[in-house]
Amino acid sequence: MSLIHLDGVSKFYRVGDQEIRALDSVDLRIEEGEFVSIIGPSGSGKSTLMHLLGCLDAPTSGRMEICGNDLSRASQNRLAAVRNREIGFVFQAFNLLPKLDVIHNIELPLVYSGLPAAERRARAEKAARDVGLGDRLANRPVQLSGGQCQRVAIARALVNNPRIVFGDEPTGNLDSATGEMILRMFQDLNAGGKTIVLVTHDPDIAAISRRVVEIRDGKIRREYAP
Amino acid sequence: MNLLVALQIGLREIAAHKFRSFLSMLGIVLGVSSLISTLALTTGIERGTRAFMQQVGGLEYVSVINKEISNAKFEFWNLSPGRTLRDAVAIKSSAPLISHVSPELSFGGVVSAQGHSDRKQVRGVFPDHFVVARHELKAGRFLTDLDVDRGLRSAVIGDEIVTLLWPGSTAGEVVGRQLRINDRPFEVVGVLPKYERDEDKRRRATGKSDSSSRNSRRWDPFRGKNESILIPFSTMFYEFRAGAFPMDSMESVRLDGLTVRIGDLDKFRPALEQIRSALDVTHRGVDDFDLDTREEWFDRMESSIRATKLSGGLIATISLVVGGIGIMNIMLASISERVREIGIRLAVGAKGQDIFIQIIVESVAIAFIGGLLGVLAAVGLMEILKLMAPTENVPIMTLGGIVFSVGFAILAGFFSGIYPALRASRLNPIAALRYE
Repeated sequence: MSLIHLDGVSKFYRVGDQEIRALDSVDLRIEEGEFVSIIGPSGSGKSTLMHLLGCLDAPTSGRMEICGNDLSRASQNRLAAVRNREIGFVFQAFNLLPKLDVIHNIELPLVYSGLPAAERRARAEKAARDVGLGDRLANRPVQLSGGQCQRVAIARALVNNPRIVFGDEPTGNLDSATGEMILRMFQDLNAGGKTIVLVTHDPDIAAISRRVVEIRDGKIRREYAP
Repeated sequence: MNLLVALQIGLREIAAHKFRSFLSMLGIVLGVSSLISTLALTTGIERGTRAFMQQVGGLEYVSVINKEISNAKFEFWNLSPGRTLRDAVAIKSSAPLISHVSPELSFGGVVSAQGHSDRKQVRGVFPDHFVVARHELKAGRFLTDLDVDRGLRSAVIGDEIVTLLWPGSTAGEVVGRQLRINDRPFEVVGVLPKYERDEDKRRRATGKSDSSSRNSRRWDPFRGKNESILIPFSTMFYEFRAGAFPMDSMESVRLDGLTVRIGDLDKFRPALEQIRSALDVTHRGVDDFDLDTREEWFDRMESSIRATKLSGGLIATISLVVGGIGIMNIMLASISERVREIGIRLAVGAKGQDIFIQIIVESVAIAFIGGLLGVLAAVGLMEILKLMAPTENVPIMTLGGIVFSVGFAILAGFFSGIYPALRASRLNPIAALRYE
């Protein structure tokens, strides 16, 4: 049983009279423990694909199964539940809450899992230590460097122990040295058994994964191992 | 997500934007403080009026008055003896719903002592009079059955009479002294307290004199009670009345007043019926009497209290609703400022209902804090009111009024949070994440 299983999945948007086929009958399987990159230029549909895989959206047609959940026609609430349990996101812009300190940013997913405060705190602290920020718990994001922010985001993505971690251009806002460090963290995570899906426009970054899926005009154009 | 966490998030949000939060609370603060003040003011007026109603005898006080005979029975006028002691006896024996009966005779006589004298109304009464008229006692005793049976020359006098005859003397000193009524000596056996309305009492306490022209023209409902000179009914009859109409006996002399007290107000109507049927017999079917109750008078007072309550409550309610709209405005603004935050929360697994609860809780928290500030403001407002108008009825803040007002504020916060919360909970996570 694949972790991610897309079968003829399409996503259409309606803008005025025009129908935009962001994704057009995509078939894709990703197994547990894989490290997959999705590449393509902007407008290719790779963001739409990531939104579907990340349970931020449901497909217009086709069959989509994520971690054993059939989400082909899922409601936002059902998507939110799967997203909370099975998926961690690392965004280009970090997407931390500026008002919250590091520990509260990290424990955010646990708040919505309904965990008691003490357990949230313990798990968030452990996640912070795992990314090397055990001494910055009380800092706000503005007091951190870009690399530290992204490590907070990674800790937040991991705190719920999800099966899949998505990186959406996770190095886009970082200098190359810091970017490399973040990518190494993804590689380490994968070595520890996590399934990683990296979305990028940069083939060099995609080269660190073991499987590359190239998207163009809403279709999978080719797949290769770098 | 549980409510506690939502409350933490909400309070943090409120604390992070103190000035904005305060502005959005301001409407609620004003609404709650004006609602509490209005309730306190009307409660004060209500208490004052009810106390006054009790002091004047309450609704239980019913007076039997003379009436013109109707045309149909005019030719029988001489059949009726009018109001006599027999009426009182008849009511006592055949109207069990009446607890006390007070027949009285009165005449204007000259009272004098120690060189002071004046013409005053003197009333001959039975002991029941002190209950029916709700008299209290400052010193000495009321008149007793013994006074009436023996026709003793005892007198109970009001505060004004003490001031008239023995200026500067206290009630206790006056008991036992002698006064003269039309030159006949009477012993003061009891002194009544000074009856006054709450507002007059306060006017005196605050040192504001009663001498301004506006105040002295005021109607004092207790003037009659304060000028009381009460002597036994029998003494009155034999000393001052018996000679006037030699045919009269004490039983047949026409009364100058006949008042009763109803024992149980729940049986007000049946009690009136019992009086009527008793008097129908003694008056031989001639309708030369009527019953004067305070229902209408009290009803008017009650309805003016209700009107005050209603209009005050309405104004305060409107200001609370306006306060709620203020919260809604700020919440809507705060949501469009926080679209990205909501997007992030959705991305890590928040459900629409989690966002909904968060916004509602925040809105209710603002209203609740505003309500508490409103209670404080109301306390201050009360003090200012007391300073500005010390002689009016004291506003009374009740726990019920406070709970009601704060509860109403919470409700306003809840309802004004619904629309912003709905909008926030329906945000699309992808669009919200992209929002700049």
